Amino acid sequence: MSWSDILKEPRVAFYVAAVFIALIIIFPVPTEHGWDSRLKYGLDIEGGSWLQLQLQGAVVQLDVDPAKILEMQFNASLVEHHGDSYIVDVNGTVPEGLAEDLGYPGAKMVQRAGTTKVTIIAQPESVIVNYLQSALDTDVKVVGVAPVQYEIRTNVTRESLNGLLAPLGGSVAPGEDAFMEGVTTSTVDETKKVLDSKLNRLGLKDIKVRVVDNKFVLIDLAGVDVGTAQDVVGKPGKFEIRIQTKGNETVHVLYGDSVESVDIPRGDRGGNWGVPFMLSEEGADAFRKAAIDAGATKNPDAHEISMYLDKDEIFSAPLAPELAASLQRSPVRNMEARVGSGDAGSLKAKELYIHLREGALPVNVAVIGSGQVTAALGRQFKMQMVIAFVIALLAVAFMIYYRYRERKIVLPMVSTSFSEVVMMLGVWAAMGWQLDLASLAGIIMVIGTGVDHLVIITDELLRGGEAVSLSERSIKERAEAVADREAEKAEKEGKAAGPSGKVYLARLSRAFAIILGAAATTIAAMFPLLRMGFGALTGFALIIIIGVLIGVLLARPAYGRILGHIMAD
Amino acid sequence: MELEDIISRYPPRQVMAIPVAILALALIILGTTYYSSGSPVKLGVEFTGGTLVTIPATDSESAIKEKFAGYPLADVRNIGSRYMLQFGPMNDVMYGQLVSLVNSQYENAEIRFMGPIYSQALQQEALRYIPISFLLMAIVVFIIFREPFISLIVIFCALTDILIAAAFMNLTGVKLSLGTVAALLMLIGYSVDTDILLSMRVLKRKGTVEEKALGAMGTGLMMTSTTLAAVLSLFLLSNLLYLVVPSFTRMDIIADISTVLLFGLLADMFNTWITNVQALRWYFNRPSKARRQRR
Repeated sequence: MSWSDILKEPRVAFYVAAVFIALIIIFPVPTEHGWDSRLKYGLDIEGGSWLQLQLQGAVVQLDVDPAKILEMQFNASLVEHHGDSYIVDVNGTVPEGLAEDLGYPGAKMVQRAGTTKVTIIAQPESVIVNYLQSALDTDVKVVGVAPVQYEIRTNVTRESLNGLLAPLGGSVAPGEDAFMEGVTTSTVDETKKVLDSKLNRLGLKDIKVRVVDNKFVLIDLAGVDVGTAQDVVGKPGKFEIRIQTKGNETVHVLYGDSVESVDIPRGDRGGNWGVPFMLSEEGADAFRKAAIDAGATKNPDAHEISMYLDKDEIFSAPLAPELAASLQRSPVRNMEARVGSGDAGSLKAKELYIHLREGALPVNVAVIGSGQVTAALGRQFKMQMVIAFVIALLAVAFMIYYRYRERKIVLPMVSTSFSEVVMMLGVWAAMGWQLDLASLAGIIMVIGTGVDHLVIITDELLRGGEAVSLSERSIKERAEAVADREAEKAEKEGKAAGPSGKVYLARLSRAFAIILGAAATTIAAMFPLLRMGFGALTGFALIIIIGVLIGVLLARPAYGRILGHIMAD
Repeated sequence: MELEDIISRYPPRQVMAIPVAILALALIILGTTYYSSGSPVKLGVEFTGGTLVTIPATDSESAIKEKFAGYPLADVRNIGSRYMLQFGPMNDVMYGQLVSLVNSQYENAEIRFMGPIYSQALQQEALRYIPISFLLMAIVVFIIFREPFISLIVIFCALTDILIAAAFMNLTGVKLSLGTVAALLMLIGYSVDTDILLSMRVLKRKGTVEEKALGAMGTGLMMTSTTLAAVLSLFLLSNLLYLVVPSFTRMDIIADISTVLLFGLLADMFNTWITNVQALRWYFNRPSKARRQRR
């Protein structure tokens, strides 16, 4: 049997083809940055920063009477529900605009003999939503009918909600599923989309945004330090414009949702940066009204316009005189926020632009984890890993040589082990997955079990797995005798112990019974880890599962054949 | 005393006293740690929450301490040409200041912040997934052998390996991190490898248990010692190289994984070739009617 015959063996042919394909996949190809392999590395090797965010919120079912809510809000003596409207009776008068402030525009008020009758057109759900929104200062959405579910987009607990509803005689509905931490899938998607576009505007090359368990968002950013990343992402970015009335007091003018469009920041010749933006018609009206009410159109300098991002003032300046003059005449929709000069101004303009453009995140987010590794440090890790690999492989090779003392065995064994690594990397590169420190640790693990299995195959084939080389004691001799008897028996049956012989095949299948069992247990143990730790061990578990499969299905069967061939030579 | 002697000369029950004593010792160590800290192994920063910063610096330790005096600095360690600083909990604003301080003063800083929500979720996940992982392994072992006693012994050995390795973590001061969780789970794989080899050989071959165990031992010791050789070199490399080559950093993840594996593999050698072998000897040589009927 020659070496070309062994290649016709299907197991060997598959194996050789697989190694060849893997080599082609990971072999460096010329790119615009020089020669680059298709292998991608994780942030902990490549350098970059990461953020782990929790979307705060809950989906809840509530037991609360909307009439009670209105009764409390209006301090009413009686609330009646007729069809799709509520009639609220109040002793005395109701302040002008109270209904509007509570979220019921178009409420009718009739005053008669010391009492006031307010008619509100509203569904029960919208009364509850209105109440929760103002009480919790957040967005609340109805997300389910039968049972009615409310999505509360801030950090609440069952206890805090019960506390809030207790004065109204209400509570969270009983049962586990009446209070679910997290937000709905569509809210998660919406948040992810806003985050994606916010981050894309930073102009980074490689951004990954992943969602875990509908409440955690994991973001990987290459080439940015963690401080910047956290500033852009961690804040929900609630934008507000206020106007100075008298002294240090300010009043609300409008929120970010009145901003219709934003232009890219521009600097003038003096290095002053501004962000042009356009208000909606209602926004422009509100702005004009607030400016006139405060007196800013007449005396702009005493009534500065300030902009807030998450309650932090990011901008404050008087109205430009020409803008003040035109506001006096009619609403103005096109404006510009001047944020400052130089690099600081440019940065501030960019940040303001991002927040104005993308608007607020639909939910509150909390940063629960973050970090950074610089590119230089990552390179050092990578080099140390490569050194670790080489040394581990050398140690293994030395042990194999020490045990078998034959190059004919050591070479195929070490190269089989190495080829398994090549194939794993090939799969990784082909799938576009990133190699991080965890998956490199996984590769080391696969090398370890891989060599174990090659030792099992080799021992079975060489000695029928019976003999030991510990000492020359009688038990060993007896064991050898067993092996000899086996071989004699085989010879009597006219079969050689070569690669096609019955003994050889029997030994190989015995070896594989052990190997497949061991591989199955390893794979089973790794399966749960695919999901553990926000994906921190996913790479580790996945590369072990794939590596073990590659080993038992491709590399080790071929090794068995090749070794049989070598033994027959 | 030769290993072969242990395998075949002494009665199984007598030899079994050694592994039982070692297991008891491991449990005592884990129990003491549990009693004093609330968890059987010391938890690393990933599980407790906190901030980890490594910076390249040649300053003295006290100078570093002074520089970060305004922050809840919990620990400073020299790891080669770098310092590793561990901080306790702090609020967003302070963390932001720390990040900008670190990034403005040092060029190659590594920063990791693990908030309480993250670390608690991680703890819960570890408590949930690691037992599942072990259980799945156990089920596969049962399917492979279809013999309750032999399967139980294999599973017992894997569990003991993990417990001994965990006890050594406490003794050597290695804390539980994602890396060491991974290492403890790697141990399942390595430990089961040799136990399956042994049990398969004993179960499927002809001859006395002692002969077959000894035959398996040659292969099994070779398997564990190749792995051990690799692990030992990683252990030395990660713990010593940075002392020899000043530009290198101690790689914590490799150092921790290799420490756990080192002790785990030694425990595995012991458990496979003492515990498992003696259990099999006792099982197959016991004077039982059922056994005789099967033959």
